[in-house]
Amino acid sequence: MMGKRRDRLQIIHDILNAVREKNGKIGPTNILYKSNLSNKMFLEYIDELLQKQLLIEKTEKGKKMYSLTEKGFAYLEKFSTIVEFTDSFGLTE
Amino acid sequence: MAATSMVPPWFLGYNVLLEVFFAVITLFVGISALRLYRLSGQRQLKLFGTAFLLISAAYIAESIANFALANYIGGAGSYLSAQGIFIFGVVAYTLFFTTALVTLAYMALKIKSPSAYALFLVLSLLMLVLSSNIQYFFYVLASVLLIYLVFFYLRNYLQNRKPSTLITFIAFLFLLFGKIHFIFAINHTNFYAFGHLLELIAYTLLLADLFIVVRR
Repeated sequence: MMGKRRDRLQIIHDILNAVREKNGKIGPTNILYKSNLSNKMFLEYIDELLQKQLLIEKTEKGKKMYSLTEKGFAYLEKFSTIVEFTDSFGLTE
Repeated sequence: MAATSMVPPWFLGYNVLLEVFFAVITLFVGISALRLYRLSGQRQLKLFGTAFLLISAAYIAESIANFALANYIGGAGSYLSAQGIFIFGVVAYTLFFTTALVTLAYMALKIKSPSAYALFLVLSLLMLVLSSNIQYFFYVLASVLLIYLVFFYLRNYLQNRKPSTLITFIAFLFLLFGKIHFIFAINHTNFYAFGHLLELIAYTLLLADLFIVVRR
């Protein structure tokens, strides 16, 4: 049976969680695999997360790596509250 | 544009206390939504939070208007300054609250069109300002917008059945009943008090909802 389509908040959570599970630092291929997104969607989300400062991008030994910011950690911590709030007040997109 | 006091004498003062209470609750709801928007970037949170901050500003304006009135009736202040503050407060209340309800309706429509929002808002505010009785027109307009929001929150509850969504639906229903009572308060001032009590129930429910959500 197909699972429920993920909404934007859940996708962001899955991406940030993938980074957290790798001790807060991960390469793009790993995130793409764990987030279960198409390449196009993945790039759009990464761009958004970098703009919103939930992730930062660094280059280590010539490889691009993504790390969680404090705001990213806060998002993960507050995720259930964000979901409850948006559900309760009909704020899903 | 005319603005008249609909407060029954026995309720004078209590209305100010209630309006301050409503301003505090709606400020709390608005700030909570905007803090979550800062984390998540969810556009609907920004619209919802902004709307509730506008509602808070509306109640602050209304409480100032009614405080000036109560002060004057109590023997303090001049008629002209009380009248000026009262009219300013009433107009500010209607403009802020209308903008808030238009913002909530726009959020509920789930469309991304700033020009549609601007058109909707300008039309509503223009009709208010040009009406012969701003208060009467405002309560009718607010009731129409709240009917739409009540149906929106009913659909939200039916799609996502849990206590918090039910509480939100009931809260908006009481807000609607409150605003409808104010329509009749122009000729029957006791309805003004009933309207405030219905709003008290509505905002208390919203506060309870917020505690349920935030404590998770």
